[in-house]
Amino acid sequence: MNANDFSFEPKAKLTGRLQALAGIGAATMAAGLFFAPQRIWLNLLLTSYYLLGLALAGMAWIAIQYVSGAHWSTALRRVPEAMAGVLPLGALGIICVLAFRPSLYSWTGGVHVEGDAPGFKLMWLSLPFFRVRAVIYLLGWLGFAWAMLRTSREQDSEGGFSHTRRNTSLAALFLVFFGVTFWLASFDWIMSLEPEWYSTIFGFYNFAGAFLSGLAMLALLLVWLQRHSSMKSVIREEHLHDVGKLLFAFSTFWAYLWFSQYMLIWYANLPEETVYYVRRLHGFWQPLFVLNLVLNWVVPFFTLLPRMNKQKAGILVRVSIVLLAGRWLDLYLMIMPSFSGGKPRIGLWEIGLVAGLVGVFGLGFLRALGRAPLVPLRDPYLAESLHYHA
Amino acid sequence: MSKRLLVGVFESEDDTLAAIRASRQRGFKVVDVYAPYAVHGVEEAMGLSPSRLPWVVFALGVLGGGLKVWFEFWTTAVDWPLNVGGKPFNSLPAFVPVTFEVMVLFAAVGAVLSFFFVCGLYPAKRTVLPVAGVTDNRFAVVLEETDSTFEPAEVQKMFENFHAVHVEEQITGEAA
Repeated sequence: MNANDFSFEPKAKLTGRLQALAGIGAATMAAGLFFAPQRIWLNLLLTSYYLLGLALAGMAWIAIQYVSGAHWSTALRRVPEAMAGVLPLGALGIICVLAFRPSLYSWTGGVHVEGDAPGFKLMWLSLPFFRVRAVIYLLGWLGFAWAMLRTSREQDSEGGFSHTRRNTSLAALFLVFFGVTFWLASFDWIMSLEPEWYSTIFGFYNFAGAFLSGLAMLALLLVWLQRHSSMKSVIREEHLHDVGKLLFAFSTFWAYLWFSQYMLIWYANLPEETVYYVRRLHGFWQPLFVLNLVLNWVVPFFTLLPRMNKQKAGILVRVSIVLLAGRWLDLYLMIMPSFSGGKPRIGLWEIGLVAGLVGVFGLGFLRALGRAPLVPLRDPYLAESLHYHA
Repeated sequence: MSKRLLVGVFESEDDTLAAIRASRQRGFKVVDVYAPYAVHGVEEAMGLSPSRLPWVVFALGVLGGGLKVWFEFWTTAVDWPLNVGGKPFNSLPAFVPVTFEVMVLFAAVGAVLSFFFVCGLYPAKRTVLPVAGVTDNRFAVVLEETDSTFEPAEVQKMFENFHAVHVEEQITGEAA
């Protein structure tokens, strides 16, 4: 095997299409600033948070493989690495929202102080501290991504085990940092849209959703690369089977947390907590609320239950698309009711930014993928991964 | 009814797999394969059909979950209605965690018990081994001599092509 066999150049037609989609997104965003500013900014928040989730899921995947000493996935590592390469794009979107439209967060116009710790809430929800926190989260994630990807690239030219060891330490640190900061970031950026409401499990729930969407994207990309690149000889049924198992498990994990949050609030029946669900269970929100559970759990669970379905590329692709749509709906239900209270509105603004999301992710991913051989050629565990047998 | 079996004993995993494939290619019936550890690819080599255990487990899971929902409904809403925090007697969300646990319990315990049942395993069952070495460093392929066209000497030669260390005929049945 040599590096030339695994260089990657996307077809011009594909790049052109993705550029068109990204262009549609940019045009929608620009038009939205004039015609529907509140709505377009919320959509930008959704889109950026979605992108960040995919990129961080890529990082978390790599980190988990290093820390757990998993060798089966070594040959696939460049794919989540390229997903992590989208991190700056998501960060840029979030920075735009926090810099130019902090008024999305109603508490910026005065905090509603009531309940257990008013002093703490006042301190936590102050705009300067809010922005400083965001910078810390984003710089931390970008720093870890930069360091781990660089080590992985160095291994390509130098070989040897020391890089694997260094990345294993970095991965352990990243997982701790990520666990705390992603949890807080979901509180800051999403939960504080409705500042009177709170749920401590919200961060875990968000992690589950982000990681699940990342796995779905990974499955999709692996099948695509298996069909359209030199990774054909590398990605085997066993690899897909394992990704399928993880999809199945994390879909159920997501549902577990979804229900945990719902049931505790339903049981306690405190008005300041139930308001969140009351808003989402009335009128036209209700079918969307049910659809969320169907897309993210019912469909993947029953489709992936038989062993054979977890191995078939065609089925994994379909389930992944359902899950990625489900992730969008999940975020839509977290973000939009804070604004369009009465009824859900899904129109051209939403569709335009979804097109932008696909385009921007695709372009960012392909660019990152093209920077290195598709397979970490001198990773000491590569051979083991190539001959992986479940 | 007694059976005439031919047992080939091998020293390596690769020879064993090759011998299994060759036997099936010639139309011999591979009754069983013994190995000191789990050998990858032995199921495909033997041509075993996919396990039916998942169906049993699925059915048990549905049964466990269903029974538990019914039981919770019956205890809290029918037999002795309980008012908990002013909630309706039949409050499904409150039943979910326990239903989930019982479903897992039925499915998991049922999987183990069904597996033992299908394999004919029970406490204090006496082990039946074709040759003692299969618990240590030997692999054994057991063929059944189905009809008169089965020529033990010829099969022995085939096994020896795969470096069989030992080939023997065994007769099992009610008497054995």
